[in-house]
Amino acid sequence: MTDATTPSRVSQKISAKVWEENAVPRHRIQWCPGCGDFGVLAGLKMALTKLEVTPYEVLLIGGIGCSGQIRNYLNGNGFHGTHGGALAYALGAKMANPGLTVIALAGDGDTFAIGVENFVHVCRRDPAVVLIIMDNGVYGLTKGQHSPTHGRGMDIREWSEEAPPPFAPLRLALTAGATFVAQSFSGDPRHAAEIYAQALQHPGFAVVNDFSPCVTYNKFNTYDWYRERVEDVPASHDPSDFQAAWELLNDFDRRGRLPLGVVYRHPRPKKAHGRLPIWPEELQGADIRPLLQMMR
Amino acid sequence: MTVNRLKILVGGVQLRDGVVTVTDILGRIFTRAGLHVLAMERGYASTIYGAHQFDPLVVSEEPPVSWGDPRLDILVALDYDSNPDAREQPNRDTILRHGRYLVDGGVLLYDSSTGEVPVEPLERRGIKVFPVPARTIARDELKLDVVKNMVAVGALFRVLEFDQDGTWLRQLVEERFARKGAQVVDLNLRAARRGREVVESILAARGWPGSGYRLQPRPSAEPRVLISGNEALSLGAIAAGCRFYAGYPITPASAILEFMEEHLPRFGGRALQGQNERESIRAAIGAALAGVRSMVGTSGPGLSLKVEEFGVAGMTEVPVVIVDTQRAGPSTGMPTKSEQGDLYLSIFGGHGEIPRIVLAPATQEECYTLMIEAHNLADKYQCPVFFLTDLNLSEGRKTVPEAVFTQHPVTIDRSTLVREADLRRDGAYRRFALTPTGISPRLVPGTVGGVLKASGSEHDERGFVSTDPAVRKAMMEKRARKMETFLREDARPPRVVGSVDGRPALVGWGSTLPVLLEAQQRLRQRGVEVAVVHFSYLWPFPAALAKPVLERASVLIAVEQNFTGQFADVIQACCLLPVRRVVKYNGLPLYPADVVGGVEHILHTGESHVRIGTEAPAPVKVSEGG
Ligand SMILES: Cc1ncc(C[n+]2csc(CCOP(=O)(O)OP(=O)(O)O)c2C)c(N)n1
Ligand code: SF4
Repeated sequence: MTDATTPSRVSQKISAKVWEENAVPRHRIQWCPGCGDFGVLAGLKMALTKLEVTPYEVLLIGGIGCSGQIRNYLNGNGFHGTHGGALAYALGAKMANPGLTVIALAGDGDTFAIGVENFVHVCRRDPAVVLIIMDNGVYGLTKGQHSPTHGRGMDIREWSEEAPPPFAPLRLALTAGATFVAQSFSGDPRHAAEIYAQALQHPGFAVVNDFSPCVTYNKFNTYDWYRERVEDVPASHDPSDFQAAWELLNDFDRRGRLPLGVVYRHPRPKKAHGRLPIWPEELQGADIRPLLQMMR
Repeated sequence: MTVNRLKILVGGVQLRDGVVTVTDILGRIFTRAGLHVLAMERGYASTIYGAHQFDPLVVSEEPPVSWGDPRLDILVALDYDSNPDAREQPNRDTILRHGRYLVDGGVLLYDSSTGEVPVEPLERRGIKVFPVPARTIARDELKLDVVKNMVAVGALFRVLEFDQDGTWLRQLVEERFARKGAQVVDLNLRAARRGREVVESILAARGWPGSGYRLQPRPSAEPRVLISGNEALSLGAIAAGCRFYAGYPITPASAILEFMEEHLPRFGGRALQGQNERESIRAAIGAALAGVRSMVGTSGPGLSLKVEEFGVAGMTEVPVVIVDTQRAGPSTGMPTKSEQGDLYLSIFGGHGEIPRIVLAPATQEECYTLMIEAHNLADKYQCPVFFLTDLNLSEGRKTVPEAVFTQHPVTIDRSTLVREADLRRDGAYRRFALTPTGISPRLVPGTVGGVLKASGSEHDERGFVSTDPAVRKAMMEKRARKMETFLREDARPPRVVGSVDGRPALVGWGSTLPVLLEAQQRLRQRGVEVAVVHFSYLWPFPAALAKPVLERASVLIAVEQNFTGQFADVIQACCLLPVRRVVKYNGLPLYPADVVGGVEHILHTGESHVRIGTEAPAPVKVSEGG
């Protein structure tokens, strides 16, 4: 019997190359040259390699968008369903098999527009799932419409109903109860990889908002624009302090800067669960007689 | 004197009078006493407190065919002042609503705590009236308001000359209230005794030898349970190995969620109350993707919200069982009334063309057995399987031999899952391999030696997105082929009762089967022979199995609880046979008299679409045969 909780470690060395098997070859990747999502892909490969995870135990759940394609550009089990649904599939899969490394990969449109209902409540539920949001301020795949984070840093005097101010991903994650909230920049994959690795080791829901420039449709939030504004979370910051995390965001906002790093990390005590039964030999002969007794 | 055959209706104010507590006690005790109980139609309101609630029970020695017509033998009115505006008739709500359905010579037992009700019109029809001040006895004598129900139960038992020495009642009360202490048990039993005494003195004062009804225990060696459709299908799912259930509260499917939350953990499973309909089904798809047998349950409005995921499950070939306990729609419709209105949505809902299987159980027994098949079919064909019940069936309770559940063979067929050893043998794993049956080997993520890529976008055999016309064509055909394989290997023909040859056939699906069977018997007594053709396997429509049966009938009459005749349309489309219809959609259950009236109307007038819409059963005309 295959025990799906603990994949037997394969002798093959976990190198970055392992992540290229069972994946769309590099020359067929459909992202525009220079797309920020390449940085996320590189960072994720580094993090998974560093943590010596095998592709067999990884489940990548993609969102719908350019960003969600990443699940096909990386070895490991992959799935995508509906726009906005990634986190809820991830929740079910993780509840079913805590032994899987479940990573949801979606855009800011997918996560904060159509998928915000799932996002908010998954923050509350706190499954040990990692969410990497490739935040580019636009809907890439549908050719450049405004997404919830559109307008970041723009000097606009009058907002309107049809063009409201940008959404605040980290603040929503914090207030919704996420236990790991971080930000990365795909222009610096090495740094991003470190944050992903920490997220992967977090025992609850880990949100990483990645600034992932859309070189085709977002001519404002470019790599250079980010480079000028990102700033590491100071080493003195205590990420386990909610109030400090909130203050940190206030401080960065006031200064017109964008924090990179772990803003909040506070694991929540939780009931442990094993893998749910899958194989017929685990399921056969369930004794329902005690339940019938109650109906006599 | 009628012995061991009657219909009781208990009515009162929702959440105050404990209508359901009383019918539950009655149903359980009668079942234990070896009688059969059927309680399909339940009247309650979407408002929580204060509305009128009623619960009819059919009790009989032999299993009743159906719940029959609205006719009642015994009416128990628990409301004591339910209509404060009608000071002169304070107890009248239940009586006014249901009194007219009492048969001549029937029984009315009511709580007279706030005064007696003028009942001359009933008495003129030979109805025996028993005013029992249950609440006053409970409050003033026993100092415990809630035991008023026991006063009523005791009174009713005396009316029925049932449980003279109190054994059945004592046993149940001890089981239920032992936790609360001997004093509570004693108070309940005293309350029942007081009810008995009141009836005794009324009988003596009126000089009645009895009520005209009697229930006698018929202890049987075979253990039986009183079970609802929701409970039966939940048990079926557990027996079938379903270990993940997700639901969002909605009447009348919430009971499944509550059952699963309480019981799945002891079988190693988990139940999730989703934060909305979409989280529920998505989580179930996620769990199914991870290899666990998964199910969601909902009702109409929730099914609408899940439509997007029908396609996901169909396209990514993730098996998931979707229970829809239909209620009257559209929109929020009538949440507490039954209908068969979601067939189109289940069969056709969703964009593109989705492989899917639609099943509908007819009875509580079938809620169990068909659910086991539902999970096996989902697994084999790797697609959504719809399981259509309705409010009447899901909430309706029925006496069923335990053997139905304990002796039904349960095989858990997961043979389409691949194991690590298979992967080693086959080399490159292809999740969507193009096979002759259309069924591809399914991988559980975590299995060493293979990864699966599953996409809701069109994909190639390995699961990578593709818009190549040849790939699209092959994949579309592969998914369609699964349904052909299903029709060949697993689809079931309709159940046929009676001979169809040259006769009219009543065609039905889902929960209306018992009513069709009873209508068939009644029509026979009136000189009209009809066959009943009933479907539990609805989609893909088993035309090859059904058409040869259907085309032998002289006329096809679909009987459905919806406006259009949705299943009639399906048959017409799939078999190219004209189907007439008798439909009812006013929120009331379908009664045998409705069917008899509708069928005779069609046979006389040749009309094609008879809509039953009045509260009273359709007038039954004398038939000249045909
Ligand atoms: C229900 C639904 N509505 C709309 C779409 C069209 N759609 C595809 S991708 C997308 C937005 C993608 O934006 P984002 O999530 O920010 O990802 P990006 O492409 O920018 O990486 C939309 C609206 C869809 N696939 N499904
Ligand atoms: S459109 Fe934008 S987000 Fe999409 S691949 Fe191109 S650069 Fe990336």
